[in-house]
Amino acid sequence: MVEVNTPVRDKPKRWDLPFSMDFTNEAERREMSFSDLNDLFAKKPFSEMDASRFPDSLPLASIVANDTRIRLYREGDAIVRQGDYGNSAFLILDGDCRAIIEGLDPAQLGRQADHSKSLLKSVKGLFTNALAPEVRDSRLYPQHRDKAVFDPSGTVFVQDVPNILELSPESYSEARHNIIPEGSLFGELAALGRVQRSVTVVAAGPGTTRLLEIRWQGLRDLMKYDNGLRDHVNELFRQNGLKGAFQMSPLIQAIDLDEEQWDQLLAEAEFETFGSYDWHGTYQQLRKRDEDLLTQEPVVQEEGQYPNGLLIIRAGFARMSRRHGAGEYTFGYLGIGDVHGLQELMHNVSTDDNSPIQTTLRAAGYTDIVRVPTRTFEQVIYPAMMKTWPDGNFPEKFLGETMERRKTAMSTRRASWRGDRRKREFSGAPMMEFLAENRYINGTATMLIDLDRCTRCDDCVRACASGHNNNPRFIRHGKIHDHHMIANACMHCADPVCMIGCPTGAIHRSEGGGEVVINDVTCIGCGTCANSCPYENIRLVNVRDQSQDDALMVDPVKGKAIVKATKCDLCVDHHGGPACVRACPHDALTRADMDDLLDLSEWLNR
Amino acid sequence: MSIAALVLVLLMLTPYVIGYRIAFSDVVVTSGWLLFAVVVFLSSYNLRKKLTYPPLLKSSTWLQMHIYLGIAAMVIFLFHTSGKVPTGHLDIALYALFTLMVASGLFGFYLTRTIPTTLSSRGNEVIFERIPLFRRQIKDRVEQIILQSIEQSASSILAEFYESYLMYFLSGPRNVLLHLVRSERTSYRLRHELRESDRYLDEQDKVLAAELDDLIKLKDDLDFHYARQGLLKLWLFFHIPMTLVLLIFLVAHIVLIYAFTYGGS
Ligand code: HEM
Repeated sequence: MVEVNTPVRDKPKRWDLPFSMDFTNEAERREMSFSDLNDLFAKKPFSEMDASRFPDSLPLASIVANDTRIRLYREGDAIVRQGDYGNSAFLILDGDCRAIIEGLDPAQLGRQADHSKSLLKSVKGLFTNALAPEVRDSRLYPQHRDKAVFDPSGTVFVQDVPNILELSPESYSEARHNIIPEGSLFGELAALGRVQRSVTVVAAGPGTTRLLEIRWQGLRDLMKYDNGLRDHVNELFRQNGLKGAFQMSPLIQAIDLDEEQWDQLLAEAEFETFGSYDWHGTYQQLRKRDEDLLTQEPVVQEEGQYPNGLLIIRAGFARMSRRHGAGEYTFGYLGIGDVHGLQELMHNVSTDDNSPIQTTLRAAGYTDIVRVPTRTFEQVIYPAMMKTWPDGNFPEKFLGETMERRKTAMSTRRASWRGDRRKREFSGAPMMEFLAENRYINGTATMLIDLDRCTRCDDCVRACASGHNNNPRFIRHGKIHDHHMIANACMHCADPVCMIGCPTGAIHRSEGGGEVVINDVTCIGCGTCANSCPYENIRLVNVRDQSQDDALMVDPVKGKAIVKATKCDLCVDHHGGPACVRACPHDALTRADMDDLLDLSEWLNR
Repeated sequence: MSIAALVLVLLMLTPYVIGYRIAFSDVVVTSGWLLFAVVVFLSSYNLRKKLTYPPLLKSSTWLQMHIYLGIAAMVIFLFHTSGKVPTGHLDIALYALFTLMVASGLFGFYLTRTIPTTLSSRGNEVIFERIPLFRRQIKDRVEQIILQSIEQSASSILAEFYESYLMYFLSGPRNVLLHLVRSERTSYRLRHELRESDRYLDEQDKVLAAELDDLIKLKDDLDFHYARQGLLKLWLFFHIPMTLVLLIFLVAHIVLIYAFTYGGS
């Protein structure tokens, strides 16, 4: 029954918003025309695709019409930047592109080149902080070139991208680069898996370079129904990405593999993706509808099944659960490089047993895995492990999370004398459930506050403000589990979904520590990052001009206030680490890496 | 803990050790200067809090030192005064100030270790500055309910209940002292009263009364947070300004001692 005041709306559908209309900038929106499509189907690879292999619900023409868009770049415009997280691949229609492998200055890509302030500057800042909120030095902001640049055909050039040629012609010519010729596809690996773009690609002209941008949903479907494209992309991954994925696993790093073993591993490994690449969007919707998340998460490997291989997490997160009564309870999660099924496989090899998998693994949002088939494990990895640790004493950290290991780790923790409340286990299943359910497992510097210690003095907030020109970059408020609060501060996620789709590369990982930071100068305030952050930890603010008596800055053409995205930067500019942690008089606040469960439970159970 | 005990014992022994080596009057002078140094260090915690940079140890480390040295200061003070109340006006004032200072420190220490747990186990977590806003929202909702009750039912029981109890209860922070001793007497009475009148209400009003009951609980929890978070802030309002007064009195005390004892001779 529909309640009287429930707003009735159509269920959102996949192609409600075609990719060609999905621009924050209105001028760039333009639906794919009939002639555009005809033009495309005359070119490779579309001309070679067999439309009859596509299901009626997903016709080839609709995929192309809805999941691609044509973009124009002038010579020197950056198309993708090294270090970006992408969600689309590019097909070169007209012109050439250049992949710049090295030699570019981060500032040329919209990044902030150097973060660290001198100690003296940090101290001076305390005394020269602005009185009004969000004051900026407008002289640092570049004056924009013409807003919308129209081609005679009526299409609009991509704007707001840094033009590397204009920024510094010398270093562009000095940079090491390869030409990517017309007709090539690039950026597909970063679009399909959550990995950073490995090179910067700029339009190389001559004149206008025309590209077809294909969003990952479309690319995936094209690959699913067109074997040619699938084989092509998979082969590229096997050549370029697979070894890197293996090397992210501490286990594989620790064992010694000779060239032949590597070859066998690379030839026989399989890779798969579970869940939704844009999990943050789906997650936000599911939460709004109050659905049970666990049951919505796709199963990667199920408790009780025969282990079909060693799983290595390549990207994203996975939740480990075990059947309990009528439901399942979460006891841990896995992140990049972690393995699943190792104990069972080892047990089976060494005893000739056929033990099933002990825990269910589900994609918490989105998980990319590499599977080493059981036979390959037995022939390559297990012997290499035995060679590395001949006495069979495998270091625990390589063995992966298991129920038993967690239990022993917990029970050896000292019982506390501080009363009953303290004696309880705070990193047990309910806490794991809370962290997985809210996707806090994504954080590498999650702000945790122990409310049993916190005197609500706000020293943390004040210290944060003092290091950021009087603007606190977090809110001492957030979801609470038992007496631990996850405050609304950027968690510097392992999977930084906020970085997807930033048009200028302003939001990026810092060179040194990998913190996710925003370059205030190149941020155009489009809000893409703030809308993507599932934790609502990025705020858009109106900025003020210090040279104009701190008046609000306004765009003279549109008359609208100038907006910038802001968030916690983990005090990368300053020495001494996050000021919030140092400022807490009662040791109630920490920045926790959710990947380090032992450290985390140590803190939770102090 | 063991380090703390060691530090304390050493500090307690210091005057003796010094005392054996130097004459008695020197013990007073030495302990006096030592006390002054310790008090200056204790006071500098305020500066450390303001100076986020340069990174000078974590604030929690400072607080630990603060507490140990604060207690040590008390011991040195006893040696310095030989446990006797002095006679001069300034000295009496100084004696009183120091005692109050240490007492407020100990009291605050007790509060900071006991109040947080009570806050996290009752009501919603709320930022102190936003309490008035939430209070107003609750009051607005209650008023809406009462208006609705007046419109929809013939009886004025809820309206009367509002007038005689709720209006006062909702219009500001209430039962601050009771909340400090964790008594729930008033809210219990209020809700009891409301429940008692339940049997005179019609079905529609009963629904409203149930929501009122929830709102009373919400407001009471808000008062609880107001009282207890407020106290956590209030004690520092004594502790910090008193520090400044103490420092002024201390300097005056030292100047006078030197002016009269040494300057005079
Ligand atoms: C002559 C003695 C003392 C002086 C001059 C002194 C001075 C100060 C100062 C300046 C602060 C910094 C407050 C701020 O800026 O927020 C402070 C905080 C504090 N003091 Fe003392 N203090 C003294 C003794 C004590 C003693 C004996 C104790 C307890 C054993 C104590 C416990 C504390 C605590 C718990 C804080 C607050 C920490 C916080 O939550 O921010 N103090 N004191």
